[in-house]
Amino acid sequence: MNELLLLSPEIVITIVAFAVLTLDIIWKGDQRSAKILPWVAFGGVVVALLATLNVWPASSSEFGIATDSAGLIPIMAVDKMALFFKVMALLTVALVGLSAVEYIEKNSPFRGEFYALTLFAGLSLMFLSSATNLVMIYLSLEFLSITSYILTGYLRRDNRSIEAALKYFLYGALASGVMLYGFSLLYGATGSVDLATIAVNLGSANVFLVVASVTLILAGFGFKIAAVPFHQWSPDAYQGAPTPITAFLSVGSKAAGFAVLIRVLVVALPAYSFNWTVILSMVAILTMTVGNLTALWQKDMKRMLAYSSIAQAGYMLIGLAAFTSQSSDNWSNGVQGVLLFLFAYLFTNLGVFAVVIVLENKLGTTNIADYAGLIRRSPFLSIALVIFFLSLIGIPPTGGFMGKLLVFGAAIDQKLYVLAGIGILNSVISVYYYFGVVRQVFFAQESDETPIQPGFVMNAVITVTMVMTLILALYGQPFIQFATDSADILAATF
Amino acid sequence: MLQEFEFLGVLGAITLTIPVVTLIIAWLLRPKKPNPAKQETYESGIKTIGDTWVQFKAQYYIYAIIFVVFDIEAVFLFPFAVALRQLPLYSLIWAIVFIVLLFDGLLYGWRKGALHWN
Repeated sequence: MNELLLLSPEIVITIVAFAVLTLDIIWKGDQRSAKILPWVAFGGVVVALLATLNVWPASSSEFGIATDSAGLIPIMAVDKMALFFKVMALLTVALVGLSAVEYIEKNSPFRGEFYALTLFAGLSLMFLSSATNLVMIYLSLEFLSITSYILTGYLRRDNRSIEAALKYFLYGALASGVMLYGFSLLYGATGSVDLATIAVNLGSANVFLVVASVTLILAGFGFKIAAVPFHQWSPDAYQGAPTPITAFLSVGSKAAGFAVLIRVLVVALPAYSFNWTVILSMVAILTMTVGNLTALWQKDMKRMLAYSSIAQAGYMLIGLAAFTSQSSDNWSNGVQGVLLFLFAYLFTNLGVFAVVIVLENKLGTTNIADYAGLIRRSPFLSIALVIFFLSLIGIPPTGGFMGKLLVFGAAIDQKLYVLAGIGILNSVISVYYYFGVVRQVFFAQESDETPIQPGFVMNAVITVTMVMTLILALYGQPFIQFATDSADILAATF
Repeated sequence: MLQEFEFLGVLGAITLTIPVVTLIIAWLLRPKKPNPAKQETYESGIKTIGDTWVQFKAQYYIYAIIFVVFDIEAVFLFPFAVALRQLPLYSLIWAIVFIVLLFDGLLYGWRKGALHWN
């Protein structure tokens, strides 16, 4: 297949993002930017989704930049896993963009740039899911980070938003410095920046150098997925950021972090040359436990969801730990679980945040106490909230259940009983704080009885995410198949 | 691999030695007659006026950022212009795409009033 065609989703998004930016400055941010630009951006994402599906059958090719002597330096791979994460990125951008329309119109005078920046952030996620080269990985991670910093501090009259952006920036700069140092050590040890070549040269490399570099690199990726002990930035950044951006950070950034983590683990540092299980298990246990135990005490919905999303990253790490303990030929089992988990998590978490955004638009607050008696003010939002929480806990019939089933199943399959046990225990703990909100919604006495009516767009977003959350469990076979197919990674060229 | 780094090490040692040796020679040869005027801090030969830790106008930074657009353009277009005769038409198209993207950045800054000094 033509290389330009393989890159068509990225090209479409680039063109649309620049078009949105240009239209915004032509219209000088008047009403048209608020009304038309979200739909231009949405249309672009739909076209890019179609382009991604068009590439799907022809995937599993690799391309790079030409050099004088040795042909190609591979920088990007278009395999099924990359395309899976591109679909995830585009869905995230579409849902975040749509749920931001009313919020941004209300809170910020700059509308057009918001959609352009979300598109650019989506573009960086797409690059990240394809990158097969340390330099490309670093560039796309920085691209993602810089757009995220700007978006986090988007409400520049709001002190909390600025504080969040500054904290995120300082932590992020440190994390990417540490990760870059790890990259340079890995390059020094193996003499290559290409992931597949690194795997080949790993056998003859200095072990201490490799261990040091891998630890540093893990710290960088751990920052992106907000794994403990690299999570401190996330509650503050999540709480201060504009709520649609919180949704983006908790889903898009996290998915991309997992994409690059899986690719580096599978391609560059395969299980037979490096034993990951212990490190990943420890990080997973810490992440779940710290996330869940801290979430118990939160009074603010966004902050609680921040800790909840830290805990969710912990569950996903269980799947990763399970697959790295396998021999090299059938590693797809754990990965498939992680992918399905991420797919379900995308709809569930974006759904929760859509509900939070509606309530923030109407009530002007994200305090859990202010959700009192929501069932009598808006039964639709309340029921949606309950379904999303069921999915986050992992109770059938929801997508979250299917994800956890596969992830914990993979762990038990690999005889990681302790890990699976702690995961299940943590799920039980999480019931307390999710249902604390539900208790507030159903049984607390409201002070105000005016009904809450979400607009058409928000209704559509919540309905779509809710239906997808349910379908993933009720009619899950095609999605499991989708995740299994997507576990195909263009691994090695040796 | 490591042999290549040895060369860097030798280079580093030499670059460190030369200035240190010159400084030591100067220290040995020069007459030592300190006076208050010699001990003062100065900038470009002139005594500083007031506190040096002042706030700069943020607008300078916006100018600097806009300048980066032209800087990047020059960095990439010089090698491109040198190699233009050997390159296929295809690469000319990419160069134009590159300039258009940069121009979009400049246009953005312009319309947002970043070039307007007040």
